[in-house]
Amino acid sequence: MTINDHLTTFAGLPVLDWDHEESPPDPAAVAWRLEVEDFEADETELREKFESLLERTGAAGPTALIIGEWGGAYEQAFPTDLLVRNGARLSGLRALFIGEMVGEQCEISWIHQGDITPVLEAFPALEHLSVRGAEGLELSPMRHEGLRELVLESGGLPAAVVRAVGASDLPRLTRLELWLGVDQYGGDARADDLAPILAGRSLPALTRLGLRNAEIADEVAAAVAAAPVVARLTELDLSMGVLGDTGAEALLAGQPLTHLKTLDLSHHFMTPELAQRLVDELPGVFVDVSDRQEEREWGRYTAVAE
Amino acid sequence: MRLGIVGNPDNRRVAMFSAAVARAGLPAPRVYPWREVLLAGRVPGPGTTVRIDSPGEDAEVDRLLRELGGGRAAAAAEHGEIVGMAAAHAGLRRALDRVAAGGGDLLSQGADILTMSDKPRCHALLAAAGLPVPPALEPVHGYEQLRTAMRAAGWGRVFVKPAHGSSASGVLAVAVSGPRITATTSVELAADGRIFNNLRVRRYEDEAPIAAIVDRLGPDGLHIERWYPKAGLGNRVLDLRVVVIAGEPGHVVVRTSRSPMTNLHLGNARGDLAAVRARAGAPAWEAAMQTCVRVARCFPHTLHVGVDLMFRAGWRDHAVAEVNAFGDLLPGVLAEGLDTYGAQVAALADGRYPRWADAHA
Repeated sequence: MTINDHLTTFAGLPVLDWDHEESPPDPAAVAWRLEVEDFEADETELREKFESLLERTGAAGPTALIIGEWGGAYEQAFPTDLLVRNGARLSGLRALFIGEMVGEQCEISWIHQGDITPVLEAFPALEHLSVRGAEGLELSPMRHEGLRELVLESGGLPAAVVRAVGASDLPRLTRLELWLGVDQYGGDARADDLAPILAGRSLPALTRLGLRNAEIADEVAAAVAAAPVVARLTELDLSMGVLGDTGAEALLAGQPLTHLKTLDLSHHFMTPELAQRLVDELPGVFVDVSDRQEEREWGRYTAVAE
Repeated sequence: MRLGIVGNPDNRRVAMFSAAVARAGLPAPRVYPWREVLLAGRVPGPGTTVRIDSPGEDAEVDRLLRELGGGRAAAAAEHGEIVGMAAAHAGLRRALDRVAAGGGDLLSQGADILTMSDKPRCHALLAAAGLPVPPALEPVHGYEQLRTAMRAAGWGRVFVKPAHGSSASGVLAVAVSGPRITATTSVELAADGRIFNNLRVRRYEDEAPIAAIVDRLGPDGLHIERWYPKAGLGNRVLDLRVVVIAGEPGHVVVRTSRSPMTNLHLGNARGDLAAVRARAGAPAWEAAMQTCVRVARCFPHTLHVGVDLMFRAGWRDHAVAEVNAFGDLLPGVLAEGLDTYGAQVAALADGRYPRWADAHA
């Protein structure tokens, strides 16, 4: 499966293209989508469109910014300096999505990203960061006091990035979502790499944790079943992966999960009996066991890989 | 009006057109099987208004076309096997010449059918008419030539289409970046090197099988288009099949897929037309329909054309992917109460078709 739809809302705001004919009454009340049309456009085109956008959004710049195709995303990283060097003109930026492309534009495992640490450093007031694609993605451990939501979508998330998230100090982060992906596309993280996140010491505000799209879903489930952070969560999302009965049994045998509001296990390979047991044993929790997958001759696939 | 159909008599297209004729209260059309056109030269004569339907989905007709076009004995293809597309096209040319020589009034001109089933030629015709099409390269004949042409053009993502293929047969969506390559296609490479259309779209991520497939398809000619990123809705990629009858783009289906191959017959689903119209917005939808009408004007003496139309991801513009000479099989799709066949019979009976053809000739 691939991602085939663009977002229509982001950070709670309706999405508007950078060159939409009509200007909204309040340019801070929409999420602006910046993108070049040609997937092989050169960088100057993105910069020109960025300038046009800033003319529409006023002195503080956009509140929420989505960057789609930047030109050559399938072979070069998003030029983060476009944002970093213009930090003063983007003082209003609170939500940022880098790489919101559909599969027809660039498949997720082909989207190149670079080091996103400078973006976080340049925008201490940023509250929401989403990144799609992880080819070449890097992150250094850091402290960020503004960030509330961090979403890293990928067909394969490098273990080094997972470890850097765990080693970061994110005191206000309430939502963390990592699409771990598959080893073939660079998703080489194992449960050990998740340990600091699952310990939760550096994520004191976390209430929503997603470890999604994982080829190591059973391993993740076993780790989660004993993870200290789980006691503080209201939402636990292990969906889109290849969770099977092994992982389900680990969840059943592990710590109580009855305090959760939702447990999302959709897109899974559990037998119907095990899936039903999870639902039955967690009354009061919305347990999503929809989209059961059948194992094929070519194995178990995560929801989004290539 | 005496109607005749050149077609494969067992094919439902022939039955559906005959049924539409019967519903209009006209005498039943006489059927001229492709097999007899090819073996015995039996074709409709003067005074017959002739619908020429697809010679496809009949293994023996395919073999006869390849034999006629290739000038030598041809073996039957196995189910799904992709073989001899250039020879079949050459055979179709000669067969259509025979049909034309019979003196009937043809509802699809042989030259138009041949252009529509020749992708480089059709692309060139549409581009010359100023219609939106993805940019294309000169046809190539093998894998090395493909890669060289892509490098020279600076294109990392292309659709590779057999010059004479129908619908998705033999099409590969290819992406290249540095040492990495991937091809999404319905082509299955057998151990003996033969290639087959398969219902399951697969991905190849190793160069060797991709090169083998392209080299196998290459001798018959390959049309290379830059990958046009298609719009999606409901997490499926989509395009439109628009059947234009006598200049009227009345019959439209949305074809959706989870893969880049929206034009496969199986595994894909019809999408929600109203939702697509709403998402595109009235001006963009109207512009897309106008494009389809302009495509039809490129073939003014042909009653119907099937236009495959893509909206760009983000819905900013659209482009024509293909034009199909036999693209009017849309069971259950009605416009003003008539299916595509009924609408064609009506356009003939009430004089709209001759008027339209005269106006655009």
